[in-house]
Amino acid sequence: MNKQEINDEDLVRKFLNPDKIERTPEGFTSKTLTRIRIETQSEKADKGFFARNRVPVISAVITAGLIIAAILLPAGETGSIGSAIWEYFRDIELTLPGLSLPTWAIYAMIGVFVMGFFDVVLSGIFHKENTPKP
Amino acid sequence: MDPKSDRYYISQVLGGRIDGFAYLVEMHKDKAFNLAFRICGNREEAEEIAQDAFLKAYRSLKDFKMKSSFATWLYRIVYNTAISLVRTRKNRVLSVEEFPADAVDFLGLSSSEEEAADDYRNSLINFALQKISEAERGLITLYYYDDLDTEEIAKITGISRSNIKVRLFRARQKMGEIIRQVEMKNDFYNE
Repeated sequence: MNKQEINDEDLVRKFLNPDKIERTPEGFTSKTLTRIRIETQSEKADKGFFARNRVPVISAVITAGLIIAAILLPAGETGSIGSAIWEYFRDIELTLPGLSLPTWAIYAMIGVFVMGFFDVVLSGIFHKENTPKP
Repeated sequence: MDPKSDRYYISQVLGGRIDGFAYLVEMHKDKAFNLAFRICGNREEAEEIAQDAFLKAYRSLKDFKMKSSFATWLYRIVYNTAISLVRTRKNRVLSVEEFPADAVDFLGLSSSEEEAADDYRNSLINFALQKISEAERGLITLYYYDDLDTEEIAKITGISRSNIKVRLFRARQKMGEIIRQVEMKNDFYNE
């Protein structure tokens, strides 16, 4: 039979031996694991201060912001947007049947809502950052 | 859970035991290395590619949803890493004249005639692989060496099944042509 008549499939199968695969050099597994250990450790060390401590840093910034805002809010003054919002929250009176809540409880509830909002936003941000790219 | 399954060792690694990854490397290293080698045609580069692929797999293991087998997922990483590397370098075009040997030349290097013939065939296949595109090399390796069907190859390469069939057909045509040319050349010099 003429060589040209042998179809390509048969020819490739005749020359290609599936059992003759190229094998890794000696010590491949240990070298790979050593590299994984070194690179993952150096990645942790290479991260900057903010990357390593982002949760407490952001929490501290938000807390400081809230404290500063509380100090700077004009007490009893009107005329600005900030004071208008302040007035709005200050005038809220929450009453339940047979139960009258003290003023501090209203502030506490607003605080809980605000912190809850920040918690959801930050959780979204950090969850996104922790998910590696495909 | 079967203590010998990939899933068992994956859960160990995710639980913080890096040693569990040694099993996964040990189990899949040769096929990963072979795929990398067939695509890039160089042992040093293939070792680098295989190591990179295992490192990437380790880093992304928590994202592995186990929808496919670990091997399929790993081969996808190896395939993409190897293709990217090969595309960044300039390949020298080899001519048929640069494949100098026929089976007789391998006799001095091998212990038997049969082994020499086997080495000759393997060298010729490697030579033919270097004459087709890197993506085609990957397809030929997955189809013939790893004996995977087109559906599995599609998962690894991201190429559609119909396109895989077309590319395999073309790759076989090119390789067949190269093998015939080398055989004819050797016949000519041996006459």
